[in-house]
Amino acid sequence: MSANELRQPKRASAALFKKLGMDLVPDNEKVAAAIGHIDDFRLKVRSFVMAMETCVKCGACAEACHTYLGTRDPNNIPAGRVDLIRKVYKRYFTVQGQLFPGLVGAQDLDLETIEKWYSYFYQCSECRRCAHVCPFGIDTAEVTFIARQILYWLGIAPQLHTATADAILRTGNHMGLTKAGIIDTLEFLSEEIEEEYDGLKVDFPVDKPDSDILYVPSSADFMLNPRTLFGAGQFFKYVGANWTISSEITEAGNFGYLSDQTRIQREMVTRLLAEAKKYGCKKIVWGECGHGWRAAKMYVPTLADLVAVKQIPITHIHDEVEAYIKAGLLELDPKRNDSKITLHDPCNYARACGHADNMRTIMNAVVPKGAFVEMTPNREANFCCGGGSGILFDDPGMYQFRIEASNKKAEQVRETGAEILCAPCSICKAQLYPMVKEHKLPVEVFGLIDLVGHALVFRE
Amino acid sequence: MSLFLGQILPYIAAVVFISGVTWRIWRWMIPRIVHNITLSPFPGSWSKAIVWILWQFATFWNLLKFDRPLWLGAWFMHIALFLMLGGHVMAFYTVGLQFHVMAPGIITAEMSLAMSDWIGTILGLIFLVALLYLLGRRLANEQVRAISSSSDYLHLFLLIGIATVGNIMRLFPEYHLGYAPVREYLAGLFLFNPVPLPDHSLFLIKYTLVMILMIIFPFSKLMHSFGFFWERWIVNRPYTEPARGLPGARLQLHK
Repeated sequence: MSANELRQPKRASAALFKKLGMDLVPDNEKVAAAIGHIDDFRLKVRSFVMAMETCVKCGACAEACHTYLGTRDPNNIPAGRVDLIRKVYKRYFTVQGQLFPGLVGAQDLDLETIEKWYSYFYQCSECRRCAHVCPFGIDTAEVTFIARQILYWLGIAPQLHTATADAILRTGNHMGLTKAGIIDTLEFLSEEIEEEYDGLKVDFPVDKPDSDILYVPSSADFMLNPRTLFGAGQFFKYVGANWTISSEITEAGNFGYLSDQTRIQREMVTRLLAEAKKYGCKKIVWGECGHGWRAAKMYVPTLADLVAVKQIPITHIHDEVEAYIKAGLLELDPKRNDSKITLHDPCNYARACGHADNMRTIMNAVVPKGAFVEMTPNREANFCCGGGSGILFDDPGMYQFRIEASNKKAEQVRETGAEILCAPCSICKAQLYPMVKEHKLPVEVFGLIDLVGHALVFRE
Repeated sequence: MSLFLGQILPYIAAVVFISGVTWRIWRWMIPRIVHNITLSPFPGSWSKAIVWILWQFATFWNLLKFDRPLWLGAWFMHIALFLMLGGHVMAFYTVGLQFHVMAPGIITAEMSLAMSDWIGTILGLIFLVALLYLLGRRLANEQVRAISSSSDYLHLFLLIGIATVGNIMRLFPEYHLGYAPVREYLAGLFLFNPVPLPDHSLFLIKYTLVMILMIIFPFSKLMHSFGFFWERWIVNRPYTEPARGLPGARLQLHK
């Protein structure tokens, strides 16, 4: 199969890589460079080595992967996807692969295979449903991370991810929002809330010194999901929090985590902790974003360069809302959310961050009894929306892929007969808006905090 | 030839097996578990994590839950294999009296021999049937075929070969070989006091196949039996949630 038959997202230009301080590796050096990187990773990352060496090719993961279900391409079977690297790994780093490559399915690395990596590791949404289903727990996402990192180092990455990396370095958020833009949008949102909720005054403090809480919203909320910001603002207002948003890290997501974990992901972690220190924050509270929350919750402690992480706990706004609901401190009027509603468990919440329970506690508190219907499967076994890991590409071939990858999700949603699809994650939202349109589903997409804010009863 | 198969190859096989497995595990221990990538719901402690891992190990829980047809072949094949491995060790060591040794007051020596025969025969048949089922699945299931290499089939053929020869020796009295001559031979191996191989062609074939299996084991996917624990050690580990509550807020969780 030649490269132009492969489904690949539009690539970042050499000029864009140059802006990030990187030169493209020339074609005749790519193979040797990639093998060198694999050699490094196998000595550093155990999850990678175990994924390379434990698979027995039982095939249990095939039907577990929404990408395979949507495309029926054997390279999208998780075991098949990992095999694109495993074959090479076997060839260079195992005895059997060096002695009997044909017998054990080992292969020399060539440019064609690298092109396949670029295609198939950007069709993986790192949702980890295969890890959940695998009898060994082999985590394909770990391999996808490494494949994408190697590709990035070779100078192969999607325009989307690389331009976002550039925006991160410039502004600290994915959308490239400036401080002026952030303040402007938030003032506008304050006015909207005042209008919609009978004069309710909700301020969104930006870069406020001596704040106790640093709230980290997804930058997409400023453009696509303003109601998620409404909800967070209303919640903080209700509990009387001394909070702020930092214009240097107005980003709950972390595209570095999805393409370049060594530099961009680290950059965001460093910014985060420096900003929290700067404003004297005692706690960091995360906004609705799945992969970003995993990157914060599970990776900051091991990735942080600053001592600060030991002092500043990080929780998710769902964790806090849940705790306040359980303590009986929030007056909520579920009737305000009176529609048949279903919950999409974002992969990173359900399988990586342990949120299956807290989302349901909140849901049951903010919608009337009986309005909430589960989709099947749900919780840890839920299927990805199809856009996970930032594969939200708009070029025609990849857009078509996104819609195929969401076939399973559309089927799940349709079966519930819901009118509202609650998907508390920015990438899910960005993926589900077009999914709803293309699959002609009669649902509206909201976050979970949106519903909380809407149900909060203010008495003052 | 019989000197090589009987007195040299066994030591080679044992050394390759033990040092090969050790070497593989050694290599797994070099890279670090960099970040906590535990799958949720998180176990609250290591003891809970270990219970979960052992539960997965004993029941093949994920297959039972997500791929029932595969579970049917895989679980029965493995459970038969484990019990038979244990059975071989016990039966050859005690010359078939293992059940009598375990419960001397209840089980007589004759009963133990009969039990050893019956259980061994049944497990051997289950093992062979399950292996054939798994081979059939690998051939018939398009998805599994797409991700299989030649070695995946060869491992199955090797195990099927061992199981078939073993079953023939069990089921047909004319090919049967009792525990005693094998025990004598093995004792010689273990004590470095050579005893000639029993003169029995089927035994020789089966024994050679097993030694081949031991030699390829460390260089194949058969290492998944150890890999299971090393992989689960990464993805099933405890995580403790930070405390809830917003410092400095007007409404506090604890009044």
